[in-house]
Amino acid sequence: MVRKMVYAGEIVPLSLSDYLGEPACVVFFSGCNFDCGYCQNWGLKKSKEEHLTDIERVKKAISENKLVTACKVTGGEPLLQLDALLEIGRFAKSIGLKFGIDTNGSLPEALATVMPLLDLVSIDIKAELREESYRRVTRLRSPPVAEVIRSIEIAMRSKAQVELRMVVIPGYNDSVSTVKSISEKLKGLGYEEKASKGEACLNLIEFVPENAFDEEFRRIRNPSVSLLRDLALASGLKNVRITHRGIGISQPVS
Amino acid sequence: MTEAILNGRLPPPVRRSDGVIEPFDKERIVKSLLKETQLVKVLYNLPPMSEEDARRIAEEVEEDIKNMKLRFLSGPLIRELVSVKLLEHGFDKYRNVYTRVGMPLYDVYSIDHSEGYEAKENANLQPNPETFHKKKADFLSKESYLLMMPPRIADAHLRGDIHIHDLEYWGTRPFCQDHDLRYFFYYGLMPDGTGTHTSVAGPAKHAEVAILHAAKVLGAAQTNFAGGQGFFNFTVFMAPYLVGLDDKKIHQLAQMFLYEMTQLYVARGGQPVFSSIQIEAGVPKVWQDAPVVSHGKVWRDLTYGSLEDQVHAFANALLDEYLKGDAMGKMFNFPKPEVVQRRRYWTDSRFEDVMLKAAQLSAKYGSTYYDNVVPAYRGGEDGVSCFQCCAYAFAEDGSSEDFKRKINFEDGAHFSMGGMQVITLNLPRIAYRSGGDEGRMYEILKETMDIARDALLLKYRIMVQQFERGLIPFASQRPKGAPPAVDIKNLTHTIGFVGMNELVEHITGYELHEDPSAQKLALKVLIEMDRIRKTYSEETGLKFSIARTPAESCAQRFAVADMIHYPKYAKEYVKGDLERAMSLYGETKDVPIYYTNGAHVNVSAKVPLYERLAIEQRFFPILKGGDIFHVWLGEANPDPEAILKLNRKLALESWIGYWSHTKDITVCRACGFVGGGLNESCPMCRSQDIRVYSRITGYYQDIASWNAAKKQELKDRYRIRLSA
Ligand SMILES: [Zn+2]
Repeated sequence: MVRKMVYAGEIVPLSLSDYLGEPACVVFFSGCNFDCGYCQNWGLKKSKEEHLTDIERVKKAISENKLVTACKVTGGEPLLQLDALLEIGRFAKSIGLKFGIDTNGSLPEALATVMPLLDLVSIDIKAELREESYRRVTRLRSPPVAEVIRSIEIAMRSKAQVELRMVVIPGYNDSVSTVKSISEKLKGLGYEEKASKGEACLNLIEFVPENAFDEEFRRIRNPSVSLLRDLALASGLKNVRITHRGIGISQPVS
Repeated sequence: MTEAILNGRLPPPVRRSDGVIEPFDKERIVKSLLKETQLVKVLYNLPPMSEEDARRIAEEVEEDIKNMKLRFLSGPLIRELVSVKLLEHGFDKYRNVYTRVGMPLYDVYSIDHSEGYEAKENANLQPNPETFHKKKADFLSKESYLLMMPPRIADAHLRGDIHIHDLEYWGTRPFCQDHDLRYFFYYGLMPDGTGTHTSVAGPAKHAEVAILHAAKVLGAAQTNFAGGQGFFNFTVFMAPYLVGLDDKKIHQLAQMFLYEMTQLYVARGGQPVFSSIQIEAGVPKVWQDAPVVSHGKVWRDLTYGSLEDQVHAFANALLDEYLKGDAMGKMFNFPKPEVVQRRRYWTDSRFEDVMLKAAQLSAKYGSTYYDNVVPAYRGGEDGVSCFQCCAYAFAEDGSSEDFKRKINFEDGAHFSMGGMQVITLNLPRIAYRSGGDEGRMYEILKETMDIARDALLLKYRIMVQQFERGLIPFASQRPKGAPPAVDIKNLTHTIGFVGMNELVEHITGYELHEDPSAQKLALKVLIEMDRIRKTYSEETGLKFSIARTPAESCAQRFAVADMIHYPKYAKEYVKGDLERAMSLYGETKDVPIYYTNGAHVNVSAKVPLYERLAIEQRFFPILKGGDIFHVWLGEANPDPEAILKLNRKLALESWIGYWSHTKDITVCRACGFVGGGLNESCPMCRSQDIRVYSRITGYYQDIASWNAAKKQELKDRYRIRLSA
């Protein structure tokens, strides 16, 4: 039998903060097509030889873990290794776990393929959904903004729980106009309908400088709780949540 | 004048401690020797000194003094000279009782200035004037009790074969107690136990008074006990006072109790009372039909079962107030909330709120303790049990003598669950001494346990005597001819242990998490310990139990002792930073090495939580005297809903009888922020003037006051992150 391998650097056997409402095991795929300066998992940006793992080993680690009710694949960018992702997803579902992924949204076709398996999809929104804004954060010459939008659309039409996550970085994406522009876009993609059913949320997340990859980003100040709250309210969207070390994860804003 | 005396070869005059100067008189030595060595008869059951021997000693001491060029003598100095002379003659035991106890002036100075090892030994002691007093008194007491014990026991402690906990209270206090609140709601409150030095209150008639009485019971009891004080079934027994009160009022009462217990800063040398309360979400089966006891009455027509709404509301209110924290938003670190897990609380959706709030409290402060009675070995729904203070467990099963009478409070019959004394075994040393031979190891285990048993029986005899003479007056109180508040003869004698992981490592070559053979051996050793324990219970009719020790300083003390006595082995097996320990050693005993607590998996082992669980849960059914499972939370802000689901699994699908979620807390001194995680700076104001709290053996403290070994343990701690 041919051994199927996957670039999966790490497993967190029990996470109580990565899959909302569920104790979950989190599989970290390595390799990413973005180059974000604020990346907090920068050890996984590149697929390295030492990350190569037999997929059976990943499955075994998931199935032995009787404490979790869900499995999430994050990274890196999980959709870059679609076959492995599908296999792990099918396996997780087969043993009764909920299954979710984190993605940067750049691979809508792959997302559409895995979508039927997903109970949860978290899509990053890096900045205003325009090329020049995305370029500053992702440091790509031509960032795939159209693909991100298509991914959000696919997710909105699915039955899965959808979490749109934006790490709020002062000086990059922390203005009211950024949030307003994003929310206009989201309204056009069916966010409000899904959010009113409790199936979608926008999560504004504190940027934590001490964990950032890039020296320049490490010098930035973390955003305050009140800034996150103000932005959440300014968005005018339903079910906006904020995450900050000071108050906890995914807190509703009223 | 002094010159003349010296020239005439007379002993110099004696300067008494009261300032009077008088001539030396050797008859005083003879008399005191005859009188004081009577203690040898009392303590060791050996003959006191003969007059002939006493006289010989006194004469030789006089001769020695004449040969010394002293300008004056003092009582203490003469006593030291006599003690040396006793040792010269091989009269070790007479010397034990004749010697003075005391401490170097330098140490007194250090204590008063909060410096050195003694200042750090108990992380729960904050520096303040009462604390300094206590430390000095503790020092004298410890030294005295080691001299008063049979040398076989004292030496075993000093060598580090065993550890006698709370040695400073050896001769005066039992260990800990979970009280039956009904007793005080029926008979009223007499804080001094006799009513001669304090006022005497009748039974509480109002909710506020009931709350205050409850707080004062724990405060008063603390003066009689060395360890934790708590209430089992707290929410149930409080319920009759809550009838007819609205939710706001019930919350106010809950808040009042938490503040009382954290602000009565008076116990044992300026500390809060080390307290815990058992929180039932509903009324347990055994109490459903029991008559309510409150307002000084036994209500024959009212059962606790009919008060389930009040119990439920009070459990919610307490958890709400814990969640709120104090005025600064800091957690209440006492009384420790012991939230009981029953199958019904997970299957009946009415109790979901309490289970969720317990999870929220874990997420916010990590302060919830889960007392899980679901596993069969906990006695199911037919007994009464509790976890106390540092995760020691006590129980009475439904078939025990007088159980029904106690449930019905007949003639004041009530439950009194607690510990008499804990003695901890140094398991790694037992392995070293066996030379790696398993059979020999069991023999040495038995020998060591026998010493622990003898010590526990000695403690029992001393305590019963003190109790019967009215010298533990809160415990022995008998208001209106009631049975005594504490059933002294029914307390549990606990044999604890440290370093199962290192014991099996020495014998099998593997740590607990490394190989099934190591786990198998650990289980075998525990079963053997339990078998020996049973023989002790049968021989004496007393309660003995085996428990993991929440060893704050003991895990470190054993590691250091073994580096001295068994360096060849200890070097290989102690955990922590050996290199740094070696460089520090000589200057301080506070060095960063330790053994693994109880039968736990090495805290720095890279194994996921479910594997740790699979290993440690198998030990719970044997460790009926207490154990704890730590769920180390890697995340600063865990999701309460996820914790809730994890708790459900632990409660219903594991053998874990007691667990908590351990999370680090950052406190900012600049802006007052309190939140999760070991942050480098304040997430709110970015100040670096922060303090980090983490859990130490079952409660929270500022890690600045942690000893070096505990700080090392924190660094090594595995945070369930695994590289595949
Ligand atoms: Zn601050």
